[in-house]
Order: sequence, then structure tokens, then C-alpha cells
Amino acid sequence: MSVVEAGVAPLAVEDLVMEYDGAPVIDGLSLAVPRDAFTVIVGPNGCGKSTLLRALARTMKPRAGRVLLDGAPIGDLRGKEVARRVALLPQSPIAPEAITVGDLVARGRYPHQGLLRQWSDADARAVEGALAATETAELRDRLVSSLSGGQRQRVWLAMALAQDTGLLLLDEPTTFLDIAHQYEMLSLCARLHREGRTLVAVLHDLNQAARFATHLVVMRDGAVVAQGPPSDIITAELVESVFGMPARIIPDPVTGTPLVVPAT
Amino acid sequence: MSATTTGPTTTDTTPTVLAGGQRLVLLGSRTRPWFAVVVRTRAGAVGAAFLVLAAVLAVATLTLGELGIPLAELPGVLAGEGSRAQEWTLFTSRLPRLGVAVLAGAAFGVSGAIFQSVTRNPLGSPDVIGLGAGAAAGAAAAALVWPGLVPTPVGALVGAFVAIAAVYLGTGRGFGAPHRMVVVGIATGAMALAFVQLALVRASRESAQEVAVWITGSLAARATEHVQVIALAVVVLLPLALVLTRPLQLAEMGDDLATGVGASVRFSRPAAVVVAVLLTGAAVSVSGPIAFVALTAPQIARRLTRSSGPGILAAACCGAFLLVLADLVAQYALPGTLLPVGVVTAGVGGIYLAFLLVREWKQVSV
Repeated sequence: MSVVEAGVAPLAVEDLVMEYDGAPVIDGLSLAVPRDAFTVIVGPNGCGKSTLLRALARTMKPRAGRVLLDGAPIGDLRGKEVARRVALLPQSPIAPEAITVGDLVARGRYPHQGLLRQWSDADARAVEGALAATETAELRDRLVSSLSGGQRQRVWLAMALAQDTGLLLLDEPTTFLDIAHQYEMLSLCARLHREGRTLVAVLHDLNQAARFATHLVVMRDGAVVAQGPPSDIITAELVESVFGMPARIIPDPVTGTPLVVPAT
Repeated sequence: MSATTTGPTTTDTTPTVLAGGQRLVLLGSRTRPWFAVVVRTRAGAVGAAFLVLAAVLAVATLTLGELGIPLAELPGVLAGEGSRAQEWTLFTSRLPRLGVAVLAGAAFGVSGAIFQSVTRNPLGSPDVIGLGAGAAAGAAAAALVWPGLVPTPVGALVGAFVAIAAVYLGTGRGFGAPHRMVVVGIATGAMALAFVQLALVRASRESAQEVAVWITGSLAARATEHVQVIALAVVVLLPLALVLTRPLQLAEMGDDLATGVGASVRFSRPAAVVVAVLLTGAAVSVSGPIAFVALTAPQIARRLTRSSGPGILAAACCGAFLLVLADLVAQYALPGTLLPVGVVTAGVGGIYLAFLLVREWKQVSV
């Protein structure tokens, strides 16, 4: 599919080439993120899924090709301008010493502020909204260092939400969480999507991806192998060819989404 | 919505009291101010306390000692009504010395705050990562190895920049590898000190003596032109450091996160490093590489303000206070002996450095 076919995609890459120290990880990839979807990118380790997200979040410069935000090359836009439209939850952010939850979330307002206008009523409202949406309002005065892993991840998400963007990128948001908090986090993401945001996440777990994604992107060796609604594209053949593991696909008894069961 | 954070929300005006002991300073209309800067109440109080203490110590440095001007006569002499001897003491000797102490202390404090923020490590201060040593090597090169080529202060500045360039290249990833910066910086500092020793050994005794005192860091015999140099540096560079505070704060949380909120790490980090190197260079050129003020001042300020950012202004106030205090101790601690101030700061700061190294070592080995 091309960018033109999809209308102007909120976020897209064209002929993307990404390299680490001269070794190409992605070599000529094009992808359009559908508007109002919860897109999840999956694939085996080293397939380039995180690298693709890094290109979308402009935390890594493409070797060649373009990243387009609402059709405009993202490299031509100012950093704050982009940050008012796209927020990122990175994989391992560092919480400063002695910072409270409220202060941390407030830092997400940076792209809306100026040198001489560091706080406004809109900032206060956005922070309140982000705390409420992530159910972290009662943690406001706690030190981030005193929180549990699940609480902390929700606080980082709140900081990204405070940016008040239509697009939200999440780089393996469940990696350091136990299973209950993984589902809590993903359910929260699904709710944010239902409330009208466009989400793009990289996930490790194929079954979690199949359950929560509305648009699944499957990658292997730096290329997109398949994309579409999970129930349309997940087949035993696809799983075997991408992950090298024989599998059977059954309906998830809870949600009806595809459930991948190893058949080894 | 909690009342503690935003106060009444029935009006459209921006509340001025924020969460966590912060206040909003507003200028212009309440509904649409053109100036709305967040001030941490605690940080403001700590900075003011340091300034008051520094002022008290400043009066002490002017009044103590054989040539000291009695407190009762001080306002008169300041107004130009003292004897010639008193005026000489005040305007030619003690005030320039005090001015250099205050301003160089502030410069060291800010430089340390910036470097510790960039390296995300209290050990990453300019005196630990080889900037002071680099400046000393530059000074030694200018004064002893190639005398007459450039003035000694210029040599110091060049040395500081050479040292930071060595750190930049040595990490392999520029300033994007905070922990490597500390390790490479310590190595750079060791090499720079070796160069200083070499230069001192090969130099004639008199000039070596002079440079050795300067390299220890001394505020003796400061003149008005020294005050002018460091005042110019602080007046120009401190506002730049303040502008970079918020991007630095975000960069401390990781490059990805900073980029995500639109704070350009690629620009702000090198800019902050240049500001810090210039501040260190200016301070070193008027006072010598006084050790450990840059290491300790920002950390003391951070502890006291409980702030979660570089805390530029508090570090400046704390640095000024520390250097005035250290100079007072250097002059009067041992009766009959005038110590170079760098001996005092190195003695006290060295203990703190040892504490930091032990803590770091524990963290690594656990």
C-alpha cells in the first residue's frame, strides 16, 4: 500500500534505510500508520521493529528515506512542533533523583512552553487530565523513586499524555513489568486508543499484540512481512515463516482474537 | 481535581501556587501573562541564605587582620572618606580579592552543575574530569614551555578546551556517553598533570615557583582587571546557562525522552558544555584551578534545595559562598601563614571526593 492510497497518514516512512555502525538493519522500508488505529509492530529479535520506532520517534536519524508527519518530512519540523503532535514513551527513561510524580508529569508540557512562559492554565489542565487518565492522581506528591514498577510505568505514560498529542509511540511499554501489570498497561493503552488517539507500539509478545492491536505489522529481517487486523493476517504459516516455530492458531477464549499456541 | 495543586478552578486566571512548594511568577495580565516562570520556593530560600552568609563572610574578609578596616569605619572608607592606607587596602587589595572569590566561586559552581547534569554523575565535575588539570597544563605550557607565545590565562583557556576535546574524542560517542566521559576525563586529567610536572621540573626555579602557586589556586594579589575578566564571563555566560537549564533537565532523563518532548539534545548538550568550559576557563585564568568547588557546590545546593535538576542559580550562590569561606580559612586558619586557597579546597573537597568514590564503588560492586 502506498501513502497516497491511505490518504495522508498521520505518520509514515518512505524507502527508510537505518544503519547501526554501517550495518543496515532496515533497507528500504515503506509503511503508513493508519489514523485512529492501535498499531502494534511485532517480529523476532533483531528484525528492526525497535529501530523502525526509533525512526518514527526521530530518536535515530535515517541513513536514507523519509519520515512523514501528516505528509510533511519530520526532519523539516522543529523539535517542539513535532512534540506537540507526537509523544513517545521510551524504553528506559531515567527518573531524576528526588522528583515527585506531579513534577515529572509536568515536564511533559515542555513543548507547549516557552522560555518566559513556563506554566499556564492549559498546562495545569493537561497534567490533571494525564494523571486522571493513568489513575496516578493520588500519587502526585510521592517520589517517583518510591513507586512500584507498574506505578512508575503509568507515571511515565502520564508524562507522555501530558504532551497532549494525537499520536503516541510506545517502545516495548511492558518489558519490565510482571504479567498482571503488562495487561493493565495494555488495557490502559487500548482505552487511550478508544478515546481517540492513534497509538503505535512495539511489543514482544505476539499474543498480547494480537489481543490489543487493531492493526498489526509483522516484521522480519528489516522488512514488513504482513500487516492488517490481527484476525485477518495471523496464520500458522505466517508464524512459522517469521518466528521459525510451528504453531496452531486458536481463538482466544476470552476475546476471540487469534491465540498462537506452539505446536512443537 | 485536587485543590492543593491548582487552587480554585472557577476563575480563568492562572494559579500562582503550584504543587511541591513551587510558585509562579507572573508578569502581564493574569489571564494571558507574557512572563510566567516557575520558581521553587525552597531553592530561592537556599540561594538567598547562601548570599547572606557570603555577605557576612565578605564583611569579615574586609575587616579582619592587621590591615583590616574596622567595621565602624567600613562604610566611610567605601564612600571614599578613609585614609590613603585604608583606601589602598580596600580598593587595591581586599575588594578585588573578594570580588574574584565571589565571581570565580559562582563560575565554578555553575560549571560544575552543568557538567554533573551532562554526565548524570556527581563525579562528572570539571575538576574531576580533567578540565582544571587541562587548564593548568595550558597555563604551564604558556608560562614555562613556550614563554611569550600567549598570555598565561589564554593558555589556561586553550588547555581547558584541549582537555574537553580529548574527552569528547576519547569516549567514542562524544558527550552522549556520560559514564565514559567520567572515566576518560580522569585519564585526561592524569595526563595533563603529568605534563604540568614535566614543565615544572624543566623550568627555572623562580618561574616554577610562581606557576606552582598559581596551579594550586590562589586569590592573593588579585587586581581590578581580574575582577573585570571574571565579571564579564559571569554576566554573559550565567544567563546562557539559565536558558539551558530546562533542556538539560530533560536530557538528564535520557536522550530518547528529551527528544520525545522536543528538547534538542544535539544542540543543548554541546552548547552547555561550551558555556561550562568557558566559565571554568575564565575562573581558572583569574584564580588558578581551585580544586573541588565545582565538585561540591552543586551537590550541596542540590541536597539543600532537594531539586531535581541542575539548579544553576543555587549552585552559583553556593560556589560563591564556598570560595569566600575557603579564602577566609586560608588566610586566617594558621596564624602567620597564608595558605593558597586551593590547598584548603583540595583538603576539604578531597574528603568529599573520597566519599563519592566509595559510594560509586559500592553501587558498582553490589
